[in-house]
Amino acid sequence: MAESDLIRSARFRKEREADWQHLETLVAQAERVGLQRMDFAAARDLAALYRNATTSLAIAREISLDKALLDYLEALTARAYLSVYAPQERLGGLVRKFFTSGAPTAVRRSWLFILIGFLCMGLGVLAGYQLFLENPAWYHVFMPPELAGGRGPTSTTQELRQVIYDQDPSATGLGAFATFLFSHNTRIAIFVFGLGVFLCVPAVLLTFYNGLSLGAFYALHVERGLGSDLGGWLSIHGVTELSAICIACGGGIQLGAAILFPVQRSRRAALRHAGRDAVKLALVAALMLVVAAFVEGFGRQLIQDKSTRYVIGWGLGLCWLAWFTLGGRARK
Amino acid sequence: MRLWRRKRETAPSVGELIPPEGIPLYLEVAGLGVRLAAQITDVGITLIAAVAVLVLLVSVGYGDPSTLIAIGSLLFFIIRVPYYVIAELAWNGQTLGKRLMKIKVVSHDGKSLSTHALVLRNLMKEAEIFLPATLLLTLDDKSPVATGVALAWILGGLLVPLLNRHRQRLGDLIAGTHVIHLPVPVLLTDLAQTPVKETASAKSYTFLAHQLDHYGAFELQALEKLLRAQEKNTVPVRSNSNRATIESVVEKIRQKISYANKVPEAERLKFLRAFYNAQREYLEKRQLFGERRKDKHYAAENNRP
Repeated sequence: MAESDLIRSARFRKEREADWQHLETLVAQAERVGLQRMDFAAARDLAALYRNATTSLAIAREISLDKALLDYLEALTARAYLSVYAPQERLGGLVRKFFTSGAPTAVRRSWLFILIGFLCMGLGVLAGYQLFLENPAWYHVFMPPELAGGRGPTSTTQELRQVIYDQDPSATGLGAFATFLFSHNTRIAIFVFGLGVFLCVPAVLLTFYNGLSLGAFYALHVERGLGSDLGGWLSIHGVTELSAICIACGGGIQLGAAILFPVQRSRRAALRHAGRDAVKLALVAALMLVVAAFVEGFGRQLIQDKSTRYVIGWGLGLCWLAWFTLGGRARK
Repeated sequence: MRLWRRKRETAPSVGELIPPEGIPLYLEVAGLGVRLAAQITDVGITLIAAVAVLVLLVSVGYGDPSTLIAIGSLLFFIIRVPYYVIAELAWNGQTLGKRLMKIKVVSHDGKSLSTHALVLRNLMKEAEIFLPATLLLTLDDKSPVATGVALAWILGGLLVPLLNRHRQRLGDLIAGTHVIHLPVPVLLTDLAQTPVKETASAKSYTFLAHQLDHYGAFELQALEKLLRAQEKNTVPVRSNSNRATIESVVEKIRQKISYANKVPEAERLKFLRAFYNAQREYLEKRQLFGERRKDKHYAAENNRP
């Protein structure tokens, strides 16, 4: 049969069919082994043929009424598009980028929100401390009974000291690590971050409340002359753990602030923009919580000396601070 | 009434995606059922992995019954979170469950999926589903308020995808992604590949311009479907019902286009093929001149003031 006998769209198809089928095999190969492992010629052909196929699709939509052809081209172009525009990043590179530049710069960028987080916590501690000194009954209002572990205004000084310097804890090592990770503070951190979306209010309140119970708890020990001992007991993991809560709170406030004050963007776009840094803050907080649980699970019971506890806790805090302030700065 | 109708018109199940090349692609948005099935597969896989590691730990002698549940949930957590992110990164938006169900995450703006988007949508999954689910499992009837909150949380999370047309959950909305069905390219033969003039060697069917003025693209593609079914033997070609269908179609077309000659039974398919070719050539020509005929009602629509 002669070429000219065919109708226009059939001729259009006949001229390009071989290319399409070649593209189809290349797409299948790319989906099977990945773009990185294809040889140069195949990868080059894939990109070039994909661009040809998009033009073919645009033309076919205009000139052809062959449903089968249109469906085929739609599907082929979509598959080729998905494999040409696949993420090209390596996993190792991603992890390195997060630690060396992504996380510290995100923390630095949102310093104001994190500062607000620390302020909420600090004010909470102050308020809890003062309220307890005024009337010890506040202790029961602020402190959830399961967290207090039987400690309260009615316990003797001896009992309080025993918990701080516990020689024979019920769980150590891995089990304790897991238990502490899923303890009260992790839950607080998750809620503080996630609920920040609701206009910041729950995040601020929850952080403040956490500070209140901490302040009341501290005041109880100060009253019995155990202030510095409790400081050591809390410092060893608390510096990291409470900072993690404050950072998570900063992330939550950032999300809420994006909804409250979207400036020139739409609220959805502002939320998406704020999400970039907020997620990094959440990841940093998660990392800090894991480290804190590790220290709590293994370190706190092994190290019974007060000053060593202080050194480890605040040394760890300094390490975090150094990472946040120095990491990811461009060398001059 | 009017509002309702407009809403129905603007709610297609097909998502438009504009790649950097600027040619819009239409990809079918995956429904909740398929996604749930993929999700269940993934949860099953990660749960099995977590249980396997737990059994290993216990057999090595790490197991302390009092902390076994804590360790187990920790293992499930630290296997699950990286699994989703790494799988979707490595397989371009597909986990094992999604590969099984042939669905895929795509970026809403037509660019390639970013790591940020994948991390975000999977972390949000923790907050949307796993966190309230664990809450629900650990609570009992002593705290009805907390149980109610957890239930409302899960229900709210599940309602979000039902309320937007790309079926995005909260994490998808924030990350700017949605889930599609992977299209399967199948190239069928071109019905018009056999040229018009040689179709009927014994007796040629020719159609005049006014005879081809009756139908539009919809009817042409319906005819294409019928002819392809005859070719692929998906219907019993020689059965009585099929013969009756073909006969009624031929008679209908003959009446509509006032084609005077009778078509003998052996020639019916040949007639339809010839008509398909002529009609397609004619309609495509009209389309080149800028006149798209969607269906046979085009004349009525065009004449409307």
